[in-house]
Amino acid sequence: MRDNTLELIGLYMRTTVRSWFQYRVDALLRSVAVFLREAAGVIAIYFTLLKFDNLNGWGLQEMMFLYSLLFLTYGILIIFFTGLRDFGAMVRTGKFDRYILRPRGLLFQMIFVNADWFAAVGHGGLGILLFVITAGRVGIRWTPGTIVYYVLAVAGGVLIQGAVFLFLATLNIFLLETGSLKELLYYDTRKFAGYPISIFHKAIQCFMIYVVPMAFVNYFPAQFLLRKPDMAQFPEIFLYIPFAVGVGVYLLAYLFWRFGLRFYKSSGN
Amino acid sequence: MGSLIEVRDLSKTFKVSRRGKGIPGMVANLFVPRYEKRQAVKEVSFDIEEGEMVGFIGPNGAGKSTTIKMLSGILYPDSGSLRVAGYVPYRQRRDYVSKIGVVFGQKSQLQWDLPVIDSFELLKAIYRIPGEVYRRNLERYTEMLNMGGFLNQPVRQLSLGQRMRADIVAALLHSPRIVFFDEPTIGVDVVGKEVIRSFLRELNARDRLTMIFTTHDMQDIEKTCRRLLIIDGGSKVYDGSLEGIRAKYSAVRQLEVEFAESLTVLPMEHVTIQDLDAYKKRFLFESAQVEIQDLMNRLLSEYPVRDLNITEPAIEGIIRRIYGGEEV
Amino acid sequence: MSLIPYFAYAKKSFLGRSAYRFDHLMGIFSTCLQVFIYWNIYRALYGQRTEVDGITMAMVTTNFILSLGLREAFYTDDGYLSRKIRDGSIATELLHPISFKGRMLAENLGNALFNLIFRFAPAVLISVCIVGIQPPADAESVALFMVSAVLGYGVLWAISFACQMTAFWLMNTWSLFTVKNVFVGILSGSMIPLWFMPEWMGGVLKATPFSSIYFTPVQIYLGQLSLKEIGARCAVQLLWAAGIFLLGDFLWRRGQKKLVVQGG
Repeated sequence: MRDNTLELIGLYMRTTVRSWFQYRVDALLRSVAVFLREAAGVIAIYFTLLKFDNLNGWGLQEMMFLYSLLFLTYGILIIFFTGLRDFGAMVRTGKFDRYILRPRGLLFQMIFVNADWFAAVGHGGLGILLFVITAGRVGIRWTPGTIVYYVLAVAGGVLIQGAVFLFLATLNIFLLETGSLKELLYYDTRKFAGYPISIFHKAIQCFMIYVVPMAFVNYFPAQFLLRKPDMAQFPEIFLYIPFAVGVGVYLLAYLFWRFGLRFYKSSGN
Repeated sequence: MGSLIEVRDLSKTFKVSRRGKGIPGMVANLFVPRYEKRQAVKEVSFDIEEGEMVGFIGPNGAGKSTTIKMLSGILYPDSGSLRVAGYVPYRQRRDYVSKIGVVFGQKSQLQWDLPVIDSFELLKAIYRIPGEVYRRNLERYTEMLNMGGFLNQPVRQLSLGQRMRADIVAALLHSPRIVFFDEPTIGVDVVGKEVIRSFLRELNARDRLTMIFTTHDMQDIEKTCRRLLIIDGGSKVYDGSLEGIRAKYSAVRQLEVEFAESLTVLPMEHVTIQDLDAYKKRFLFESAQVEIQDLMNRLLSEYPVRDLNITEPAIEGIIRRIYGGEEV
Repeated sequence: MSLIPYFAYAKKSFLGRSAYRFDHLMGIFSTCLQVFIYWNIYRALYGQRTEVDGITMAMVTTNFILSLGLREAFYTDDGYLSRKIRDGSIATELLHPISFKGRMLAENLGNALFNLIFRFAPAVLISVCIVGIQPPADAESVALFMVSAVLGYGVLWAISFACQMTAFWLMNTWSLFTVKNVFVGILSGSMIPLWFMPEWMGGVLKATPFSSIYFTPVQIYLGQLSLKEIGARCAVQLLWAAGIFLLGDFLWRRGQKKLVVQGG
């Protein structure tokens, strides 16, 4: 039988975009609102650094560059992983049962059927804007090597956060309510990731490197490209592995998902 | 070759978490979860042949939706065996689900904001339906259900009846062999219900499509199904025809008689007499105690009878009695 | 006019909140975490310095604890009116023999009181234990801080009230409130202490009500203002609260007319 998986992915994407565009004005306003909401933190840091010049050696442009990675990865992430973020609701409303009833992979459907375009445009737009403003001013030499590194780092960052969502979705099969845990393990952790992690206590650094490895989403990739002095306290190897970390944690989360799925089918929530 | 659907000793137990009271209970539950087991389905067995229309009924929490979820591959059974169209649903999910269709009356599978036809096109890609098959099915079903007028309208603008028709077609586009219906007429007006029921009857007659219904609307069952499976407390309590259920459970029969004049009927043994109006009376009796032939002969010989009518008690009432007074 | 029904509404929303215990724990945790993050940032920014422009690290910490703590307490239900308009219940509620605006305020006050006790107090206490706080200048400052905080809530509530009135014309107010929160966040001092705002932002701060919400109470607590200044600042707070409320009230009356014209 002809494989039409790519065609289907295209069709899914078209469907989510068209649904989103049904409310054109509102969609635009929402995207702008998300953009501004996320920009608030950047504006605050901007004013702060006008006064203080630098944060542990990181100047204004460099901080914006650090931020850009965080927003860009989230913008891409949310095109693909919205279904995992909202897994709890999907189980409650029976939408997930419908995926089981269709002759396609479950994770495949979760990833491609849902996309939060408000967040994608809001976060992604801010990420691109910050990148465009700062990429040429922070002293990075954009060679084929650094470009490939950057692309891989973004992909790794998407995978790391996707893994967190996938892990939390699986946990949802076992626990009734994981909203607070999501708040804790993802959103609260991400608040730290907006800043050079060197300013935080060792315990928090360890948490962001070894537990929820958000440090590999933006801090270490930015360090690879910028080489700020505060890198001295971390092993050099961290600069080279963000993509590997992304693939690794995603695989781990995927195995956990496969394991958890059996329990869904045996409990049905 | 065996039956299309073979179910043997199917059982399913759920672990239900038991929560303690207040914050201490919640915290305790976080560390040492306590469960109690609740058997939802107990050793249920049945066969369904190709082309049957079967109604699955039972009170809420009786285990009928758990059974259907196992049949459709959403849940694993704990024990027993299950074979549908040659597949083990929970093991061969992807291959199996292309052979079935499922309609959830309360959960649409259509894209809320987009025209109906867009959802159909999406399903065509999801199920890899060959273009020719898709066109043929779409044309045929939309004509039979008279859907041409709203194929290009967004789903959110449809009436409940229109949406339900679209949802039924969505479940049929890939030419499934078996279709499961969960409350397929809920909230639909009387005319709309009739359109849906006659469509399903026709489909069954022409294509020998096998259909399984779970519904609270006994009219759905009476007008579509020849066979009834009643589940209560996780066990099968009845499996047979609609007529059979009347014979088996409805001991009470009733005879309505219209007399030529207003009169008083003398009391008879084992028969309850109700006055309906001046001329009409209803005679209630148990078939084990009173032969209907005897009663009729006696009335005809002793009184001026103008009309005589044996009425069946409504199936709904009988089933309510089987459940022991529970809401159908 | 009797106040009893309004007390009943306030009480109802106060008690209604106690059902979501876990949410409260998470809210408190999140606020403490935010304080902790800012503390880390400013510790790094200050480095070896003891003060910047006469502002000590302890004052910065105090600013964040109080403004983020008050943010926990200052409850406004921004979606209240738009929900009632969308589900149509506004039409029947307007027929009730009590003031709809009064009810809005009463319900918010009930919630705010709950948050004051169960979210503000624990969040501030925990934060103080972790990062410390500058003690208040004197007892008088504490008392005036409380007066000013109440006025600050008045300003925030009036802003929410006025913005909510746009629900009569807009289908969806989510975007507007998100943008409102951006302004409140940046210009109120809860994301950057307003001492450190660049000079040219001074005009913006003066021309907008946002610094009245948290920053005025914080300055009073720290004893940065003379009695005369305090009086002036509190008058400014009062003017903002009243002015914005009146604007909202104007929109409210226009909106109601629109509702009647459309037949509810």
